[in-house]
Amino acid sequence: MIALSGVRKRYGAVAALDGVSMTVEPAEIFGLLGPNGAGKSTLVRIATTLTRADAGTCRVAGHDVTREADAVKRLIGVVFQESNLDPELTVAETLAIHGRLHRVPDRAARVARMLQQVELEAWQHRLGRELSGGVKRRLAIARALLPDPAVLFLDEPSTGLDPQIRRQLWDLIRQARRAGRTVLLTTHYIEEAAALCDRVGILRQGRLVAVDTPAALTARVGPFVVDWVGPDGRLVQHMAATREAAIERARTLEGTCTIRRTHLENVFLQLTGERIACS
Amino acid sequence: MQLTGWYPVYLRELLLFRRKCLRPGYLISAGLVPLMYLTVFGLGLGGSVRLAGGDYLSFLLPGLIAMTSMTNAYACVASALCLTRLYTKTFQLLVQAPVSAAGIVLGEALAAMTKGLFAAGLLIGMGLLLPGQFRVTPLLLLATMLNSGMFACLGVVAGLLVRSHEETSTYTNVFILPMAFFGGTFFPLDRLPAGLRAVVWALPLSQTNVLIRREHLDGPAAAALLALAAYTTLFFVIGMRRIQRYSE
Repeated sequence: MIALSGVRKRYGAVAALDGVSMTVEPAEIFGLLGPNGAGKSTLVRIATTLTRADAGTCRVAGHDVTREADAVKRLIGVVFQESNLDPELTVAETLAIHGRLHRVPDRAARVARMLQQVELEAWQHRLGRELSGGVKRRLAIARALLPDPAVLFLDEPSTGLDPQIRRQLWDLIRQARRAGRTVLLTTHYIEEAAALCDRVGILRQGRLVAVDTPAALTARVGPFVVDWVGPDGRLVQHMAATREAAIERARTLEGTCTIRRTHLENVFLQLTGERIACS
Repeated sequence: MQLTGWYPVYLRELLLFRRKCLRPGYLISAGLVPLMYLTVFGLGLGGSVRLAGGDYLSFLLPGLIAMTSMTNAYACVASALCLTRLYTKTFQLLVQAPVSAAGIVLGEALAAMTKGLFAAGLLIGMGLLLPGQFRVTPLLLLATMLNSGMFACLGVVAGLLVRSHEETSTYTNVFILPMAFFGGTFFPLDRLPAGLRAVVWALPLSQTNVLIRREHLDGPAAAALLALAAYTTLFFVIGMRRIQRYSE
């Protein structure tokens, strides 16, 4: 559904994307995981026709995002990290205008249905500037879903949201997948990628360093971790292929050890040498 | 050139404008500057000046109407595009929608034109209440409309070029403000030295000021009309090209 091949993008001396190739399958939730500045948003902007790549190709449903931008625009819905809502338009006006821009058929009924789906009926006459962060994000998702897109791009959709709102958002994303949509989401929340994504790509300094299912990625670095606090008070983590190996490793260490299952944070640390912001 | 999708772009701007156009702050900002010029130059100094056998106020008012429609149409869209492109990021929604580049320019320019005409309408209303020989002619209305459209298109170009909100002020101070003062608003262009007159005559606002003060569509009026159409087309095409090549 989404296919990138050798995509490069530089901003001055900085390589935002350095030869990224990947595919996202239809009706898949694909997560791009990486720290700030890894190139996640640049990739989304390129795939959604907002930014032109310096080299390489990007296709959405077989359409080239540069040469067939209009065809791509008819297929996609986008939610950006920033709440790009008009502060002086009401919730209902925001959706109605977006529906007109995308020539949504039976617009009034579809707007009403979207308001119901994201539980914003009570907010429909409120101005954008009067909305809380969580309501703004739900409106942004409703707006993206309004034209019934085949592909949904979500750029750090849950950044800054409290845990309860974040889980409501996850439900909406799962609903989108159940409706047959392909979802590409970027995040720097490990638990979000683990909870939602069928596959995860790890992006570091503009390069894709790994792509696989969360389970396969954790298996790749070892399914168990020994957390050991060394004499200097620093946390040291040892990966282990089996529980027995982890116990054996713990026996060699003096002080307090904890043995637990690996999660994506450890995978990220192993593959990139960097710690990602953890929720 | 396809103009598809211009209406929702226009409608969005109108919905935003509807909320603010009757706020005292907006009415004051749209009407205060021309009112000050009208008071100081027209009613104050103008009492002792006569131009081409007529009173100065009758000369000044059409110029102020042109200037007001220019500044409002230009500033509204230049500032709005800068803010929506760089800060609120709502411009990206237009670029990511299946709307043609020409449709975006047309929708934005028509909305800015509406705002320019709204401000010019306020001034025309004031002018009709004042003593003097000021009359609303068909050419005055045509010139005001064309002028609003032309500077709306220029505002689209400026709004797409600026890299910060501060830069919109720079563009205004370098291009719009000198035009307001030298483009025939306050005095006839033949008062300028010959060399400078040729340069100033070519400015878009100077052409509007020729058209807006003519009684009939004679030779100079037709030439000015063609010049305004040419400028409008040029600014429109530049704006359209900027959007076609838009990349963040």
